[in-house]
Amino acid sequence: MAAYRARIKEFHDVLNEDQINLKRLKSMCFNGIPDEPGSVRALCWKLILNYLPLSPSKFLSFLEKQRKLYSSFIQEMIVNPGKQHFGKSGKIDVTFEDHPLNPNPDSQWVAYFKDNDVLVQIDKDVRRLCPDIGFFQRATEFPCQDVVNAAEMETLRKRVDCSVLQSHTVMKNRQGAYNWKSSKKSTVEYDLLPDGKEAHWEVVERILFIYAKLNPGLAYVQGMNEIIGPIYYIFASDSEREWSEHAECDAFFCFTNLMSEIRDNFIKSLDDSAHGIGNMMMQLMNRLQLHDPDVGSLMVTQDLKPQYFSFRWLTLLLSQEFPMPDVIRVWDSLFADSKRFDFLIDVCLAMLLLIRDDLLKNDFSSNMKLLQRYPVFDIHLVLSEAVRLQKS
Amino acid sequence: MAKKTYDLLFKLLLIGDSGVGKTCILFRFSDDAFNTTFISTIGIDFKIKTIELHGKKIKLQIWDTAGQERFHTITTSYYRGAMGIMLVYDITSPKTFDNIAKWLRNIDEHANEDVEKMILGNKCDMEEKRMVSKERGEAIAREHGIRFFETSAKNNINIERSFMELAEAILNKTPSRDTSTNHTNVHVSQSSGHSSKCC
Ligand SMILES: Nc1nc2c(ncn2[C@@H]2O[C@H](COP(=O)(O)OP(=O)(O)OP(=O)(O)O)[C@@H](O)[C@H]2O)c(=O)[nH]1
Ligand SMILES: [Mg+2]
Repeated sequence: MAAYRARIKEFHDVLNEDQINLKRLKSMCFNGIPDEPGSVRALCWKLILNYLPLSPSKFLSFLEKQRKLYSSFIQEMIVNPGKQHFGKSGKIDVTFEDHPLNPNPDSQWVAYFKDNDVLVQIDKDVRRLCPDIGFFQRATEFPCQDVVNAAEMETLRKRVDCSVLQSHTVMKNRQGAYNWKSSKKSTVEYDLLPDGKEAHWEVVERILFIYAKLNPGLAYVQGMNEIIGPIYYIFASDSEREWSEHAECDAFFCFTNLMSEIRDNFIKSLDDSAHGIGNMMMQLMNRLQLHDPDVGSLMVTQDLKPQYFSFRWLTLLLSQEFPMPDVIRVWDSLFADSKRFDFLIDVCLAMLLLIRDDLLKNDFSSNMKLLQRYPVFDIHLVLSEAVRLQKS
Repeated sequence: MAKKTYDLLFKLLLIGDSGVGKTCILFRFSDDAFNTTFISTIGIDFKIKTIELHGKKIKLQIWDTAGQERFHTITTSYYRGAMGIMLVYDITSPKTFDNIAKWLRNIDEHANEDVEKMILGNKCDMEEKRMVSKERGEAIAREHGIRFFETSAKNNINIERSFMELAEAILNKTPSRDTSTNHTNVHVSQSSGHSSKCC
């Protein structure tokens, strides 16, 4: 207990310096950030993800600027288009010149509908975010006022709803034969919170939508939800209101910074490039061969291709392999590591070595199951093995 | 002598757009349960189920792929070894039905020529939201000479039956090592209870 308190104090000391020593902070975070109820972890992540400036005296003006910027994104990408299209998406008149089937590429609708496709995809995934912890289904204390209070606009909620309706209307027009019966029924099975309230998953949806709009080349790829999820969770659970109130904005920028380092994993055409996921999987297999030739050659003879398991491990930074508290602990180290994602490969290698005896005993099917549902382990064991491998 | 736990091994693959219910279909078949809290599949998932068909123990190795475009390079590499492929669409989503043509082209490009195919129109429990008629599903299946079922992972409609028929089709063209085999023209083992006539 005393040691624990000393550790917290050490963090507070470093964080209260006029000029935070990032190198020192990183080396402390690498060994795990204390799970104290305050905001140490959230603050550390904001620093080691290169979001906050290193002098705390500059926090305020910096944050003000970022929050203004984020709020302008919401205005520009959600509120304005939502007002423009208010009332139109629900009832489409096919004789209307600017309707969604108008082949004219200038049509405003084209862009709006393309966005809606992305939105529907995001929606499907965020609704199912981390069902194990229940957090994302609960209401946030800080719904986005610009959106919740805006009269006469198509909110993202309505847009998701309407684009489901839309495809129905369109089908009917094209095929003639299908009568659309249940327009009065809600098209979404999931219970939405009443107007004026927002669930945490809706906040995450907005972050991902804005990210997709700002990064059209990448847009939204499944799995990004698993990256933003834990970051937003940590920021939104900050016990200090002045931080948790702005979890959305801060999480957006930290996510953007993190994505700039790992975005290649989400781009198909880069699979085989030097930074792509293909290369990372190959490195993992090469290192396995080096450290444990028996398991290395077993992977070959049983045809246990790295894509079968490590594709997900690496793309999602292991977020689906462990329960949330363990994921968070792993991410402390990943974010803090100077060669950030080399350590990720060390962790994956450690995971393989820790189950080597089982791997060598099992047939293909059992091994696939083992690798796709990694057994429960003390996460510290995995990490200390990874550190050993990193040094070797 | 070590006893073999199965006589034959069939590799099956599930493909189709994201969200049509591939993972739920597989979970229904392997664990006989429905779970609405699945996260979207990243890359590929894998399940094993052993079935019995005409007195033979058949181990089904079933690969569940991610639907989104980004994962296609990863997922198409599994087509080659597959003996049976299930193409799934969602009867409440015309887009997923339109994409069946695209998935069929993918199969032509990447799978073995003699792979057994089957089309599934899933979520047939949602009759009030149906956007693709059963006739359209049947028509495209007929056009390509493929078997077709409407299924519901939620209400357990035609799930077991479709897997059994696909396995049966593969079994029928598997050259038998056992000469005394008498399974030509045997009926599909109608697994009672699962062939409810909903859709
Ligand atoms: N009503 C109904 N809903 C279903 C059925 N099957 C699946 N769903 C729902 O459809 C959604 C998507 O199901 P998944 O099985 O995850 O879809 P998938 O095809 O595996 O999607 P990807 O992994 O993204 O490719 C979930 O919310 C399920 O609850 C069904 O038979 N009936
Ligand atoms: Mg799936």
